Amino acid sequence: MANIIDVPKPRINCSMLSQHINRPVCFVGRVEKVHPTGKTFTVEDGQGKIATVELNEPLEEELSGVVEIIGMVSNKGVIMASVYNMLREDKGNTFDIQLYDEALRVIHDFPQHYPFEGAASG
Amino acid sequence: AIMKLSEGAIENIRKIDGGSGPARFRAMMSDGRYSMTSFMLCTQLNYMAEDNTLAPHCICLIKRHVTNILKDGRRVVIILEIQVLKPADQVGGKIGEPVPYTEGKNKHFISFTNRGFNRDMGKKPLSNMPSTPGGGSKVVPIASLNPYQSKWTIRARVTNKSTIRTWSNSRGDGKLFSMEIVDESGEIRVTGFNQEVDKFYELIEAGKVYYFSRASLKIANKQYTSVKNDYEMTLNGESSIIPCEDSCDVPMVQCDFVTIGDLEMKEKDSILDVIGVCKSVEEVTRLTTKTNREVSKRNLNLMDMSGKVVTVTLWGEEAEKFDGIGQPVVAIKGAKLSDFGGRSLSASFSSTLMINPDIPEAYKLRGWYDKEGHAMDAQSLTEVKGGGGGGNTNWKSLSDVKTEHLGHGEKADYYTCIATIVYLRKENCLYQACPSQDCNKKVVDQQNGMFRCEKCDKEFPNFKYRLILSANIADYGDNQWVTCFQESAEAILGQNSAYLGQLKESNEAAFDEVFQQANFNTFIFRSRVKLETYNDESRIKATVMEVKPVDHKEYSKRLIMNIRKLAN
Repeated sequence: MANIIDVPKPRINCSMLSQHINRPVCFVGRVEKVHPTGKTFTVEDGQGKIATVELNEPLEEELSGVVEIIGMVSNKGVIMASVYNMLREDKGNTFDIQLYDEALRVIHDFPQHYPFEGAASG
Repeated sequence: AIMKLSEGAIENIRKIDGGSGPARFRAMMSDGRYSMTSFMLCTQLNYMAEDNTLAPHCICLIKRHVTNILKDGRRVVIILEIQVLKPADQVGGKIGEPVPYTEGKNKHFISFTNRGFNRDMGKKPLSNMPSTPGGGSKVVPIASLNPYQSKWTIRARVTNKSTIRTWSNSRGDGKLFSMEIVDESGEIRVTGFNQEVDKFYELIEAGKVYYFSRASLKIANKQYTSVKNDYEMTLNGESSIIPCEDSCDVPMVQCDFVTIGDLEMKEKDSILDVIGVCKSVEEVTRLTTKTNREVSKRNLNLMDMSGKVVTVTLWGEEAEKFDGIGQPVVAIKGAKLSDFGGRSLSASFSSTLMINPDIPEAYKLRGWYDKEGHAMDAQSLTEVKGGGGGGNTNWKSLSDVKTEHLGHGEKADYYTCIATIVYLRKENCLYQACPSQDCNKKVVDQQNGMFRCEKCDKEFPNFKYRLILSANIADYGDNQWVTCFQESAEAILGQNSAYLGQLKESNEAAFDEVFQQANFNTFIFRSRVKLETYNDESRIKATVMEVKPVDHKEYSKRLIMNIRKLAN
């Protein structure tokens, strides 16, 4: 499989996870709980819904605030993260996750105007 | 003693085009024995003549009317309500051989009384009809008023009374107040000037019932009022207004509420009535009008059962006094619809604001809101405005500015855009200006260490550097040359003009670096555009009035809203 970094990764929220099973996605959410093992954590999206993220390696840092995760969606709807990126706290605090969610829905509501997947594959 | 009305047949119907007012229809009617020509249709019924419901030979029943006696003794019957019993095509021609009716010859006609009207006035017998105190004329409904009669009295409730407003212009100054009055037949707006303000303003109390007589009637200016009447009334020296004690049968305010969800389908600038629950209130703000008057304003958000929210602006005293505690039901009669920020409403001085009014609509809304409405995710018709410009921001893209020919009109146009600096002309961007506090005039170097300002007519040993910067700005669709003066140029360059002047004299490389750094930064520009002509050549001159950093959150919200609007 091509490296996940090189393929198109649609931005989604929790309600879209089930339509993206076995596909690479980009997810932005606020960190909710980190599991004591450091291998999994939960994130809240702009609509207040919760998704679970699993990592290959345990976390090496404290995780909080807003994170952007790139990964594959498992059959159970868990995001198997390849990469994550924590927004800097000064930015993360002002990041309006609800507004982000509104923008994200625009992209999905008008796929004809946001043909990112089509363009990349074709 | 109410006689049975005789049914009449229309003999002839004719349209009278009054000079400036609405057309009036005059009908000749007969009862088979007599005919009379002076029947006028009240303008509210014009449609019946226009769509041919009332056509020659149809048989009809006059349900409500008033009779005016003209100065020469002739009677004119104004028809307020009429029912067609048999349409013209089923009658087939004239009934009988009616002869013109002459006063005194026939008793039947004299007892042609006002049946419908008596019923509307309640259970009182005719003898108890409110006879006008101090005047002979009988009480008539508001709907029957017109400029062609002078002797009338109406009994009506004041539903809205304005504050006293004053004016002052080249022709002198004065004051006025206005009110809206209703009875069971309709409503009308009444205005009083100067002496009439002194005479009546204190007497009138909103909500009370009065007898009004001898005021002037003229065609209403519909632009300023939502009152449903073709005429409006002006008080004059002869007018009288007398309180009426027995008033329970006169209706309260008449409202024709538009649901908030339907506002989007209404024309901009229409005057309409709304009712909703006050979901939230903003603080009072004060602003200065174009005429240099300070005025208070306050926005509130109203929601109704359509699940939509609209922002309503209150002004002046009403803005200051409004209390949104407990989320009251607010009804506004005569609010003006604006397309500012999507759809919003303004309660002007001629609007009536009612808090928790005693009407069924209000109780229904209260019940609905407390049960389910409060939990609804309401959608606002009004764009949330904020750091992105405030006030009346006229957002345009640079290509809009060209395709809409902004600046080509009489007056300059102002617009706001988000654009990126693509080129800055550093040549001649600094000039030597007069050092006096408020004079920014260019000085002339006397070559002797002194600098002369023509405007101040003085020589100075120093000057101050000021900026006049030409910039090319671009957005996704177009670019434009703009001129930026002192403050806006400093904002773009991120340095003050004194420091820039110093750099230019001492360190050319550092000076260039400032311009390099300033390239490709994005700002909110508020600009003024105007077509200007030099040496027979016309071109658009754009001057930047203000430069601000982009508030990305506001910008995103606006983009999302515009996208959603496009999709609808």
